[in-house]
Amino acid sequence: MALQPQPPSMPPDARRALLLKLCVIVVMMFGFAWALIPLYRVICEVTGINQVVQADTLAEDTARPVSSARPVTLVFDANVQAGLPWQVRPLVRQLSARPGEFVRVEYEITNASNRRVVGQAVPRYLPAAAGEHVKKLDCFCFRQQVFAPGETRRFPVVFVVDRKLPEEVESITLAYSVFDVPGSGG
Amino acid sequence: MAIADTAGHAPHTGKPTGLGRWLFATNHKDIGSLYLWFSFIMFLTGGVMALAIRLELFSPGLQFWQPELFNQLVTLHGLIMIFGAIMPAFNGLANWMLPLMIGAPDMAFARMNNWSFWLLPPAALLLLLSFFVPGGAAASGWTMYAPLSTQMGMGMDMTIFAIHILGVSSIMGAINIIVTVLNLRAPGLTLMKMPMFAWASLITAYLIIAVMPVLAGAVTMVLTDRHFGTHFFNAAGGGDPVMYQHVFWFFGHPEVYIMALPAFGIISQVIPTFSRKRLFGYTSMVYATASIAILSFMVWAHHMFTTGMPATAQLFFMYATMLIAVPTGVKVFNWVATMWQGSLTFETPMLFAIGFICLFTIGGLSGVILSVAAVDTQLQDTYYVVAHFHYVLVAGALFSLFSAVYYWFPKMTGRMYSERLGKLHFWWSMVWFNVTFFPMHFLGLAGMPRRIPDYALQFTDFNSLATIGAFCFGLGQLIVLYNLLISLRRGPPAVEHPWEGAQTLEWRIPTPAPYHSFVEAPEVDADDNGVIHAVRGGTHH
Ligand code: HEM
Ligand SMILES: [Cu+2]
Repeated sequence: MALQPQPPSMPPDARRALLLKLCVIVVMMFGFAWALIPLYRVICEVTGINQVVQADTLAEDTARPVSSARPVTLVFDANVQAGLPWQVRPLVRQLSARPGEFVRVEYEITNASNRRVVGQAVPRYLPAAAGEHVKKLDCFCFRQQVFAPGETRRFPVVFVVDRKLPEEVESITLAYSVFDVPGSGG
Repeated sequence: MAIADTAGHAPHTGKPTGLGRWLFATNHKDIGSLYLWFSFIMFLTGGVMALAIRLELFSPGLQFWQPELFNQLVTLHGLIMIFGAIMPAFNGLANWMLPLMIGAPDMAFARMNNWSFWLLPPAALLLLLSFFVPGGAAASGWTMYAPLSTQMGMGMDMTIFAIHILGVSSIMGAINIIVTVLNLRAPGLTLMKMPMFAWASLITAYLIIAVMPVLAGAVTMVLTDRHFGTHFFNAAGGGDPVMYQHVFWFFGHPEVYIMALPAFGIISQVIPTFSRKRLFGYTSMVYATASIAILSFMVWAHHMFTTGMPATAQLFFMYATMLIAVPTGVKVFNWVATMWQGSLTFETPMLFAIGFICLFTIGGLSGVILSVAAVDTQLQDTYYVVAHFHYVLVAGALFSLFSAVYYWFPKMTGRMYSERLGKLHFWWSMVWFNVTFFPMHFLGLAGMPRRIPDYALQFTDFNSLATIGAFCFGLGQLIVLYNLLISLRRGPPAVEHPWEGAQTLEWRIPTPAPYHSFVEAPEVDADDNGVIHAVRGGTHH
């Protein structure tokens, strides 16, 4: 039976070269896993996906005067990562404000331990889609906060609810989760 | 037409003996056997954990385990089945059969082969011992999501270390497969004529070297977050726990195809043999396998629909996921078309292959349902997902492995298994598998969350049913163990050509396969899917 002529199987040198190439892929993919971290950060920055802890700027919007806008209920909440010896409480739990109106509330934070603690608050919104319409001008979540043992401080949160807020949103909850910043404690 | 030097050639001399044969094994058949037995032991170990889970879920309330231990069982069950049972089993089969199917004398790097096996037992030991350290084993689920995984006790460190070892092992195994398939094929067996099992193993091996390093990276980041003050996944330090999910699933979705593609390869050998027809659409099978592999890198976030992704991203991952169903469907239709008008017989390997096609398709369909972002928001982390992946992994990967072991058993051992026990094993598994896992669809749709040791009263009936099914299914696996052991010792000698429809190269060598096969490469006249018309040369001892 006729057999087509075929090259013999590759010599050991070729085998070694292929082995080397495959090892390079492995090392590159290991590096790729680490590269994903800055990569995602850049993607989030460019697309503005993860903007929750950044200061916002207000766009000109005179479409609807403040006075005629329908008020929304704003609810304030906070919780603390287990093990972090802080007490965080909003001084006002709930208020009603019109879109376009400046709102200033205060949070009181106490370090209930006898050590120095560094914490970072991360805000969340309910409904989540309302988040982009809450424009924060000042917030303790913009930076890490250092607390001396037993220290209590009050922080303002200043924001405007954008007038572009969809009509069907009647209430927005702003909840902070406060985390321990590891490696920075005393 | 005849292979030189076959008739009556007794399995040979020069076979090392004693413990050293296994410890220093470099023969691909020995290493293949080690892999297969190791994975079977891991299968039973993970199975016992599964039964412990089902025992607790037999009725609501906490009866047997504390929630902490329950979570550890769930985690280790997943890790052991994936990294200890299914992946090594496919690697073992590739070790055993690839050189025979492509006419190579052995795997390309025999010593590395020894290493990649012997890394497995220490890693498995590490996982099992972690149950006994303070804080117990990892309890985060096999996905090891941060911030859970950045908090737990030293069981998590042991798990991370075990994963590093397992990763190195499977990467070495994969490199061996790639070099063997690309460099050691017999003259005449071109890539586009290779058996589908060789194709599937090759593509799977590429997936492994592409994503196992990413998993290693992800768990290394968890490790440095735990011990070295980094904040990759810590929100307070500027990191992001959701980032862990992105990195993990970049590995995780290709990983599910690492467990599926070799199964497709096996089925593509078994179905033509017992249909006595050529594989329908060989070329499209190759391209479907390759496109599944490529697409699998673009769908990872379908595991993350509820993490608050922007709607456009959800839509992208939803459509990309649905797209995978197309090449998968091509495969299913090709298998059915292969059977169409074939002269079918239903020996045990064929039964498991047909069982695979029926049940894997159900799993694929529930996957498509889960890929709808709006639906998944409801189903994410419920028992519906558990049902989905057990249809593709137990009835998919595991059934294909059973099919393969029965199919190649005579060639490997020179003895025939008991067909009666094989059929019993199939029907037993088929029935109890469905009794166990089908009700989980209903439980998931009704909202029962996964990975929780207790549940609301209205879920009781289906859970009790699933537990009964699980225990019967588990019991049934002793049938195959008994069958294999008894047939190894006392099975009737296999005939030279046990399946007359089998046309690939491994059936052209003596039975049982000589210890050193194809010492000298044969020249073959081959056709699609490794069908061999003629062999010239090729010696064994
Ligand atoms: C047509 C093919 C498939 C589609 C469309 C699909 C889709 C999906 C989706 C959307 C999920 C996420 C569900 C959730 O967590 O809410 C999922 C989970 C999963 N799938 Fe698939 N899938 C397919 C095939 C497979 C195959 C072939 C395997 C493995 C052999 C597999 C294994 C898994 C596993 C293990 C999970 C759960 C992971 C976990 O959360 O622990 N799937 N699948
Ligand atoms: Cu997936």
